[in-house]
Amino acid sequence: MKPIRLLPLLAIAAVFATAARAADKELNLYAWSEYIPQTVLDGFTKETGIKVNYETFSSGEEMLAKLLAGGTRYDLIQPPDYVAEALIKNKLLVPLDYKKLPNFKNLLPEFTKMPHDPAQKFTVPYMAGTVGIVVNTEKIKEPVAGYKDLFSARYKDRIVVLDDGRELVVGAFYTQGIGLNDITPATLEKARPILTAWFKNIKLFDSDSPKTALLNGDVDLGLVWSGEAAILWNENKKFHYVLPSEGVHMFVDVLAIPKGSRNQSAAHAFLDYLLRPDVSALISEEFPYTNPNGEARKLLTPEQLANPASYPKTDRKLDTFRHLGTSGALIDELFTDLKNTK
Amino acid sequence: MLKTSTSRLSPPSGLRLLNLGFGVWTALVFVFLYLPIFVLVVYSFNTSRLNILWEGFTLRWYLEIADNVRIIRALKNSLIVASFTTLASVIIGTAGAWLLHRYRYRFSRTIQTLICVPMIMPEIVLGVSLLVFFTVVGLELGYLTVILAHVTFCFPFVLVAVQARLQGLDPSLEEAAMDLGASPLKAFWLVIIPCLRPAIVSGALMAFTLSMDELIVTVFTSGLGSATLPTVVFGMAKIGLNPMLNALSAVFVVTTIAFVLFSNHLKKLSAR
Amino acid sequence: MQALPSTSLTDSPHALRPRVWGWVLLAPMLAWLVLFVLVPMAILLVYSFCTRDDLGRVVFEFTFENYQRVFDPIYLRILGRSIGYAALTTGICLLMGYPVAWFIARQRENVRNWLLLLVMIPFWTSFLIRTYAWMTILKGNGLLSGLLLSAGVIPAPLEILYTPAAAIIGLVYAYLPFMILPIYGSAEKLDNALVEAAHDLGAGPVRAFSEVIVPLTWPGIAAGILLVFVPAIGMFAITDLMGGARVPMIGNVIHNQFIKAGNQPFGAALGIIFTLMFVVAYTLAQRRGRSSHP
Repeated sequence: MKPIRLLPLLAIAAVFATAARAADKELNLYAWSEYIPQTVLDGFTKETGIKVNYETFSSGEEMLAKLLAGGTRYDLIQPPDYVAEALIKNKLLVPLDYKKLPNFKNLLPEFTKMPHDPAQKFTVPYMAGTVGIVVNTEKIKEPVAGYKDLFSARYKDRIVVLDDGRELVVGAFYTQGIGLNDITPATLEKARPILTAWFKNIKLFDSDSPKTALLNGDVDLGLVWSGEAAILWNENKKFHYVLPSEGVHMFVDVLAIPKGSRNQSAAHAFLDYLLRPDVSALISEEFPYTNPNGEARKLLTPEQLANPASYPKTDRKLDTFRHLGTSGALIDELFTDLKNTK
Repeated sequence: MLKTSTSRLSPPSGLRLLNLGFGVWTALVFVFLYLPIFVLVVYSFNTSRLNILWEGFTLRWYLEIADNVRIIRALKNSLIVASFTTLASVIIGTAGAWLLHRYRYRFSRTIQTLICVPMIMPEIVLGVSLLVFFTVVGLELGYLTVILAHVTFCFPFVLVAVQARLQGLDPSLEEAAMDLGASPLKAFWLVIIPCLRPAIVSGALMAFTLSMDELIVTVFTSGLGSATLPTVVFGMAKIGLNPMLNALSAVFVVTTIAFVLFSNHLKKLSAR
Repeated sequence: MQALPSTSLTDSPHALRPRVWGWVLLAPMLAWLVLFVLVPMAILLVYSFCTRDDLGRVVFEFTFENYQRVFDPIYLRILGRSIGYAALTTGICLLMGYPVAWFIARQRENVRNWLLLLVMIPFWTSFLIRTYAWMTILKGNGLLSGLLLSAGVIPAPLEILYTPAAAIIGLVYAYLPFMILPIYGSAEKLDNALVEAAHDLGAGPVRAFSEVIVPLTWPGIAAGILLVFVPAIGMFAITDLMGGARVPMIGNVIHNQFIKAGNQPFGAALGIIFTLMFVVAYTLAQRRGRSSHP
């Protein structure tokens, strides 16, 4: 008889799951975890009465998998630039209504009409960042300018790098003068011997928190996201951030409205709220990435603006990732192979 | 050899020696189990927000727990999911183990293998395939889907633990009870269940723990508002796992221990 | 096959032929297995013969390519490594956990439950926080290194974090309770009198232990091995965090197909083959278990 008791239990659980939702007063937001501060969400709800249901992901591909499965209807999503490009190409985004976004003008021009959305029809940039080198200047006295310096044999077992095949492959491409989106079996074969040599010197791979090993002193150099480097700089000024001399990859996380969104007006209201200078500055306070909002930057403290990882002083052109399609699998194969034979 | 000869001189002391040795060993294993918990609690008083290096003492994080809506909500979700999962896993696992022991089914070996499959299936494979399945049948992602997914990989643990206990169980127990006029159901409830209790308790603890700690399957089967604590904590690694999470863990562990002590105490009082 | 008198792990000689009620009662579990194990497996099986579009969506176009790739020696090496780590973890867990399970089982009932709970409570903290606590202990200028340095045991700071040894420590820590609990479950029913009787017959503690106690608790040991070894093969989060992610585990490879490479069909093929290998190994183990204990 026992197992039959399960049914009423499941029924109770089902009631939890389908708690009534007033559709027009709620916004289903699918965004990176811990990227939109709670204070911002609360402020929006207070002002508009719209409740924000915040669901999180921790990688662009994870987001894509769940979005495409279609289990939940999202009103607003936060893809990285190259995923947004793929979504645009597959006609999975809804065009923006600029009449509802008066604050859009606050954005710096260099963050609009970017390669992932050249017509600037579908996406609003949220935060940007770069991939660069962190140097613990207390331990490393020589200048480290780029990938070649970083991966020299004298720093063997003193390096942490992102556990991300594409970032490392791009680093190797830069040293060979290959374009960062030019991923083919032939270019990957060229990168292989370089990466093989690099991998011998790497102590650990960590995408989630490379700052841990650097702060602990277990490694002295790192190839990390600029956000990580900015946190390290705030913690201790001995951690310098360097944009690699061979070339720099910049990423932009954007916001977009997916097809199937049931509350587009709330999505626009939230987008415009995020573009407000005071709100955007609040986000910068919590997350030290590069803020694309020019008006918001004026509200930042001199110390925030002086953080070399958040606002690197460079006039070089920074490259962005393009959507790879199926050749992403080639990188993963190479990466696994390199790790396995190391 | 040496031990054998000494024990022959004084038989009971040899056994006591063995028990003593095991006792010391157990104490050492408990040190191993609680060493990181000790560190975790100490670091909950750390002033550093990043909580990687020790910087100074503060009680601030304990005061902040109550204000963090998202963490409290995630903890609540975890507890809801883990409780339902444990209940369902214990019922399915115990009943399954008993039935497979009691009756000789056709395909019982196939069933047995199938039960163990969720334990070997990589979490991502289980998560993604269940996501596809739930979407196809039109089940909205939420508590229900998370619980269904969790029970799928938790109940085998209960079942295997109970099976181990059942092996070598005296079959005359049930027959004796039935001879005394009990119905099979009553015999099961009054004789078999009490006898299986240690294994059921073990299984329930394992199921609860697995469910509380599961990340990947949860990520793929949870919907808006049903994220559990591990998913939130995992996302926080990027900006630093602040000491509030340690404080939360510490409060949770201490409350559990206090609760169990208290309920034991109550039991003793009522038994008097 | 069904003609064999005892086929399943748990068949006791007294097992009955199930009549209607036997099947009715088993039905909920069978339904569960079909719905949430077999059906998802079938979906995966279909996926594994498909291709994908540039967004990573599965396209229903028949191909064998995914299976051709699965048998690349590189994946076999990775699988071998994962099994090696899992086996080592299981061995250490058994050595560490058996005496604990035995000791707990010898206590009074409320002490027993209390100790059992104490084994599990550390795992009700967050996995990541717990792992970072271990990293605090094991890092170069951490607790363990400092302790050993000041005691003069080691001359230089310990370099154990981000090595395979650290990964094994993490794995053993994570899986130890899953060894202790099932063994406890079967050790608890052993009668003290039985153990003492073995002793009175002239067996020393070592012989009483190895010839009486261990065989009697064997079902618990087997269950513990199953519950530790099998999940540990697919584990990669701990090995990545504590071992420095320098070598891939089979769990990484499968996970990455879905999360990084956007190659669900290949991930599905790997998952199917991985699961099938387990099913074959488990079935063989079941048969051997039967034939050695007639």
